[in-house]
Amino acid sequence: MGDPADNKLGISNSIRTLRFLHNEMTQKQLADLIGVTRQTVMAIESNKYSPTLEVAFKIAEVFNLPIDQVFSYRSAK
Amino acid sequence: MDNKQKLIQWLQETSFRELTLSVDFLVTGYIGYLYVSALVNATPEQLASITWLSTLLLQIIIYSIVLMVISYIVLGLISDNELNQPMDVREKQINLVGYKYSAIILQVGVILALVQYNIAAQGFEFMQSSVPHLPLHILVGAFLLAELAHYGVQLYKGRTGDIYG
Repeated sequence: MGDPADNKLGISNSIRTLRFLHNEMTQKQLADLIGVTRQTVMAIESNKYSPTLEVAFKIAEVFNLPIDQVFSYRSAK
Repeated sequence: MDNKQKLIQWLQETSFRELTLSVDFLVTGYIGYLYVSALVNATPEQLASITWLSTLLLQIIIYSIVLMVISYIVLGLISDNELNQPMDVREKQINLVGYKYSAIILQVGVILALVQYNIAAQGFEFMQSSVPHLPLHILVGAFLLAELAHYGVQLYKGRTGDIYG
């Protein structure tokens, strides 16, 4: 998706881009759909917090995509 | 972006949980201020008096309960739904980080109070304190500091988003 966060080590995601592509969904709307707070969505988007598996699957479900198209992992190897 | 816009943006980004924590932090800070100012303004006779001390502690407990009840009523009036919402996993983790710092401060406080009590009991001349019942004040101080750390750390971690650091 060309997100600068994609080049970082560890878990990164393309939630910001996906939200934009889904009728410019707000963080609050996504937060309500997956049952977390808007602050948690903000932290996940900025890669400061890795969501639980359950939340990660819920986010993928909202965008109707497989989880590996929403989240990616880059190891130091 | 000028300061007014920054303030508006900051207020919009503030969650209800942050507001609740801020209120708890301010109430605890005010209780701490009341306790310290009572000790600073007390005469040596008052400091030595058990009756005065127990009255002060009772006052502090009553103030704490009243202020917490009032603040939660006000918060409930602002948004009852959000006050009753359960914490998500990240908030629970931040809460635990807050408890970690709180526990460290409490442990240090208890150890300091025990050391001070033993120093007073052994009667070491060079380390004698001029404040009577100092171990009790250390315990109360540690408790208030621990509460402040609990709320403060949660506010900081919640705002920065970095809960692993």
